Amino acid sequence: MTSPVPSGDLVGLERRKFLKTTAAAGLTMALASPGTIWGQTAKPAGGVAANDTLNLALVGLGAQGRILMEAILAIPGVRIVAICDIWEYARTYGQRFLKKNGFEVRAYENHQDMLAKEKELHAAIVATADFWHAPVTNDCLKAGLHVYCEKMMSNTIAGARSMVETMKQTGKLLQIGHQRRSNPRYIVARDRLLREAKMLGRITAANAQWNRAVSDDLGWPAKTAMTKEQLNRYGFDNMHEYRNWRWFKKYGGGPLSDLGAHQIDIFNWFFDAEPTTVIGNGGKDYYSTHEWLDNAMVIYEYRLPEGVARAFYQVQTTTSAGGGYYEQFMGVHGTLKMSENPKYTSLFREAAAPSWDQWIKRNFIAAPKAAPKADDDNAGGSAVVDARETAALASYVLPIVLNKKIHQPHLENFFNAMRGKGKLNCPADEAFKSEMVVFKAIEAVEQKKLVTFTPQDFAV
Amino acid sequence: MSEPTNNSTDWSSSLAFLTLRAWLGVRSLVTGIEKFSGTRTVQQPLLDAAGNPDSSGAVVEVQQKFYSLSAYQAIPESMRDKFSQEPFMPAFLTTPFYAVLGWVLIVLGITVLLGVCTRVSLFAMGLLYVGLTVGLILIKQDAGIAWLAIHVVMIAYALTLEKHNRFAITRS
Repeated sequence: MTSPVPSGDLVGLERRKFLKTTAAAGLTMALASPGTIWGQTAKPAGGVAANDTLNLALVGLGAQGRILMEAILAIPGVRIVAICDIWEYARTYGQRFLKKNGFEVRAYENHQDMLAKEKELHAAIVATADFWHAPVTNDCLKAGLHVYCEKMMSNTIAGARSMVETMKQTGKLLQIGHQRRSNPRYIVARDRLLREAKMLGRITAANAQWNRAVSDDLGWPAKTAMTKEQLNRYGFDNMHEYRNWRWFKKYGGGPLSDLGAHQIDIFNWFFDAEPTTVIGNGGKDYYSTHEWLDNAMVIYEYRLPEGVARAFYQVQTTTSAGGGYYEQFMGVHGTLKMSENPKYTSLFREAAAPSWDQWIKRNFIAAPKAAPKADDDNAGGSAVVDARETAALASYVLPIVLNKKIHQPHLENFFNAMRGKGKLNCPADEAFKSEMVVFKAIEAVEQKKLVTFTPQDFAV
Repeated sequence: MSEPTNNSTDWSSSLAFLTLRAWLGVRSLVTGIEKFSGTRTVQQPLLDAAGNPDSSGAVVEVQQKFYSLSAYQAIPESMRDKFSQEPFMPAFLTTPFYAVLGWVLIVLGITVLLGVCTRVSLFAMGLLYVGLTVGLILIKQDAGIAWLAIHVVMIAYALTLEKHNRFAITRS
């Protein structure tokens, strides 16, 4: 779950020595590369041939790391050869899990040790706490590895920016884990439904939400707890903060970053634009053991070629999970409600909109379920439909299916790009724009003010 | 204006009966066959405008209709549930009825269509529809009752025309 490299003066000398070595190695490799490949085509600059089995290191074996590990096991042509986590309990879990699946892996507490000893690695998968993303990713890139790093890129703008810079300097691939960008359901929704078919017409608004039920903080088996000295060595104050780092400002960005980043990225990606302003509200109203706000609502303004569109986002962690999680785009001809969970996904067509029959024939969408009758809303006989209420719409179905684990397509895209087959779907420079939008939303909520974006915000 | 001959009147009546027989036969036969139909979900690549797999590699789920003995369903599940709660429809009666309904519709459809024991077949068909009507009365499906009543009237009318039966395999 967390990371691997000691911080502070104690290890500064070792770190500088390591960086010198790896920087030299990275420079050599970059010079030997046929060209810059970040975010672009994938020439196998890292010495990866199209049919090579890719050797991977998995850095961070917390909840997200384990999900990625399971997804990787379903992908042919790759193998995890090393794992790294500061917590022995997590390392043991990883080694045992992988052994059960036929892989003997070497385990490391410190990613610098791992990079120094593992000479056959092609790539690193980074799923540490956010504040370790930038140091670990930059070190891995400089050591000549391609990197798949979970979002958020960092808990600071400077950290995220440094990752883009290192990606460009080393010429290595850096994919950020906004996995919806490789999900065929989202790709078809964006490229076919919205762009090719223009089923929604002009999009004037969007909204997204992630409501998560109240939950207890994570605990740990008492006998597995790390010592204070060990935790401090890796930047953590205590075991509670280590296990619940997402809620503390020193380590992560809170719910807007943790849950919201995925969905706010969809605003940018579907609109193919960055917002001009964001205003927000929210607060730490419920949990006494957290630092970060537990609820937030923000409104972005996008100036699109066809006009202004506003996007509302809310993340609630103190409600019931009612309504689930989705991203919804509303146009003059219809509404698309997207979610990673198909049961929350649907399309609604306005009665006066152009026919969607041709898109049913193309299998972009499936025939609608019948629109609810007006009587259905009046089951009790007392409710009266407001004269201004638009009639209920038929709900169409998005028939595209994902037959894989939810992160698998994004990992496959990364591995394919390493082999020279296609481009990254979410290179770091592209992800940086989305993450800047999240950072500014947090700023807007914390300061309860309107924040304006400038072109410089998105430049690296 | 000349009066129609008896011969031409007979032929008109025969053609009228033949038309009615064909309709009732087809109605019963296809309804019976449909009870062996099901729908399954199949996955196939999403195709682009040129008919090639979409560049996203997307897979789409489409519904396909199929016919199979294993897909046999005498009546929809929701209706079956309602019947199971009716005291006048005990399982020892409904279970065998469900088991043979599809087959009986097919057999009667064929016999009426081909003209095999036409009168008996039409009468049996009428009784079958009366039986179905009983169930619908119990669960208060008035529209379905009216729908079946139209069939029964057509069968009754067909029986009155049966004496004009031609193009039949057996005589009634």
